[in-house]
Amino acid sequence: MAEQITAPMVGKIIKLHVKVGDHVGEDDPVVTMEAMKTEMPLVSPIDGTVKEIRVQAGQQVEADDVVAVVE
Amino acid sequence: MRPYFEKMTEFGKPLSDGLKKRMEESVSQIKEVENGIAEAVEKVRNAGLPAETLNKRGEWTVYQRLEYLLDPGTWCPLHTLYDPMDEESGTTGVVDGIGRISGRWAVIIGFDNKVLAGAWIAGQAENILRVTDLAKRLNVPLVWLVNCSGVKLTEQEKVYAGRRGNGTTFFRHAELEKLGIPVLASIWGTNPAGGGYQGISPTYLLAHKNCNIAVGGAGIVSGMSPKGFFDEEGAESIIAATKGFKEVPPGRVEIHYDSTGFFKAVYETEEGILDGLKDLMKAMPAYDPRFFRVAEPKAPRFDPSEIDYIIPFNQKQSYNFDEVVARLTDNSEHMEFRPDYGPEVYTGLAKVDGLLVGIIGNRQGFLPKGYPEYAPYPGIGGKLYRQGLIKMNEFVTLCGRDRVPIIWLQDTTGIDVGDYAEKAELLGLGQSLVYSIEQTDVPMMMVVLRKGTAAAHYILGGPTANNNNAFSLGTPTTEIYVMHGETAAVASFARRLVKEQEAGRPLQPIIDKMNALAAEYTAKSRPAYCAKMGFVDEIVSFGAIRKYMVAFANSVYQNPKSICPQHHMVLPRIIRG
Repeated sequence: MAEQITAPMVGKIIKLHVKVGDHVGEDDPVVTMEAMKTEMPLVSPIDGTVKEIRVQAGQQVEADDVVAVVE
Repeated sequence: MRPYFEKMTEFGKPLSDGLKKRMEESVSQIKEVENGIAEAVEKVRNAGLPAETLNKRGEWTVYQRLEYLLDPGTWCPLHTLYDPMDEESGTTGVVDGIGRISGRWAVIIGFDNKVLAGAWIAGQAENILRVTDLAKRLNVPLVWLVNCSGVKLTEQEKVYAGRRGNGTTFFRHAELEKLGIPVLASIWGTNPAGGGYQGISPTYLLAHKNCNIAVGGAGIVSGMSPKGFFDEEGAESIIAATKGFKEVPPGRVEIHYDSTGFFKAVYETEEGILDGLKDLMKAMPAYDPRFFRVAEPKAPRFDPSEIDYIIPFNQKQSYNFDEVVARLTDNSEHMEFRPDYGPEVYTGLAKVDGLLVGIIGNRQGFLPKGYPEYAPYPGIGGKLYRQGLIKMNEFVTLCGRDRVPIIWLQDTTGIDVGDYAEKAELLGLGQSLVYSIEQTDVPMMMVVLRKGTAAAHYILGGPTANNNNAFSLGTPTTEIYVMHGETAAVASFARRLVKEQEAGRPLQPIIDKMNALAAEYTAKSRPAYCAKMGFVDEIVSFGAIRKYMVAFANSVYQNPKSICPQHHMVLPRIIRG
C-alpha cells in the first residue's frame, strides 16, 4: 500500500536522502525540511520502496504538501 | 505499589545502521569537544607542583588521597574547570564532587596541595559556596581534605573579605551543622589563620601527625616595617631574621590532640588518616537503599553512550528526545505523565538504580498540527507553550507532594513570544513554574543537553533555582546564552543599519561589528566557557550522565529530610488514571 509523506508546516526542503526506487526502512529519513530555524527529517512511515519524490532541494513547501510516496 | 513500579512501560529502540552512518560527522564533532575538555581537565590536574615533588616529601596529592578514600567507580567530579576569576594556576585550588565512602554518599572537597600548598586563591570561595550548598541540598555529609596554607597574600583583595569571601565557609559549616549535616575533616600540613579555621570549623577533626591548625602562622618573622617602607637596610635585616628563624608552627598535634583535644584522633600515615575517615563515614546516618527502592536496579536496555548518535552537534537539527531518556532510565522504562497534553514537554516517572525520579525535558522537532492551540502559527519543539508550562507546573507540584526528586533535561530555545503568547499568559505561567519549584522541597539536578536559552533556561530547573538545584551538568553540545548570537546581533544593530543606510554611509563597519558580536556569543556560550564561568557545574560526556543520575538519586534517598510512603503517592495513580 502506498503511503504519502507530507510537510507538517510551511518550510523549505534542504536535502533529499533517497531517490526513486531506493529501499527505505521504517523511520528512515526521506527528506530533511527546515522550518522555524529547525532542521527536521521527514521519515518513511513504512518499510518499502520510494515510488515518487515530488520536491527538490531548495524548494518551498506548504503545510500538507506531499513530498514523497513510499510503497 | 509494586504493580505501578516493578514493571513500567518499556520505550526506546535500537539505533539503526542508517542513523549511525548519518550521525558519523556529528559524533566526530562531539568527540572533538570531548578531547578539548579532557585536555583542559588534565591541565587542571597537573596545576602547581608535580605530584612526584610532594611524594618525595612523603605527602600524597589531593587526587591520590581521593583515589584511596573513595569507593571505586563512584567519583563524580564537579567544578573541575571552574575558574571564574582567571586565577593564574587556572584552578580554584580545590577539588570536589560527589562520591561514596564506605558505602555512604558524601560531598567531598579537598585543597589542591600542589597549588601554593592549598592556599585560598581567587574564585575558590564561590566554589566552596557551591559545595556547601550541594551538601545542604542533598542532606549528605560534607567531607573535607584540609591542607590549607591560608590566603595567597599577593592577591588578598580577591580572596579575603566580602559577603561571599573565603571566610563565609565557616558560617556555611555552622549552618550545615545547624541543619544536622555533619562536616568531617581530615587535616594535613600547615594550616595557619584561614587555614586554621578551615581546620577547626568542621564537626569532627582527624589529624595527620605533622599537621597543625592555628589562629596565625609562625612564618611571619616580623611585623610592619618601622620606617613605613622597605629599603636595602630593612631588607638585610629581614634576611638576617629569616635565616635565624627556627620557631615551630603553633597548633601542632601535641597542642590540639594532647592539650585541647580538638583532634579526635591522630594518624601516622596517609593511609592511616584516610582509613580513619573511611571508618568515620560508617557512623554517618544512611538508609539502606532498599528502604526506598521501588524495584531492583537495572541498567538501561540501551547504552547511554549511544546518545552521541541521537543528539546532533548541529544545533538546528532536531532529534527524538524520548530515545535520549530511554538510554538513561532503569531497563529503559517510564510512566509518562499527560502524554497527550503539552506535546513540547516530556514529563514522566522513571527509575534510576531502582529509585523513583521525575524527569522533565524538551521534546524536539515539529509539533502536532493545531498546537499551540492559542495561535495561528505552528509550534516547534524546544520552545515552551501554554500547555507545556501548565503540565510542568502540575508535575513539579505533584513530585513535591510525593517527595520525588526531579531530573531536568534541558534543550530549549525559549518561551513563545508575541501578543498571542502574552494573551495565553506565558509570562505568568513561566514565573508560576519558578514559584512551583520553590514551593517544593525536593532536590533537583539539571542537564543542559544542548541549548539553554532565554528565561526558559531559568525556569527549567536551572541553577537559578537556588534552593532546589543541587547541580547542573553540561555536555559537549551545550550552549548557554540569553539568545542566539545572530539574533543578538540583529537586535543590537538593526536600527543602526537603517541609520547608516539613510545617511548614505557604508554598512560594512556595522556588518563587521555584527559578525564580531555573533562570534563572541559563540565563544562565550560553548562548554568550556560554561564550565569556567560556572554556568554549569561540570561538562560530562553523554555516556556519563547516567552515572551522575545514579549518584544524585542515591544521595537524595540516603537520608531524606521528609518521606512520602509509596502507597500514599498520588502521581503514579494520576498517570494510570
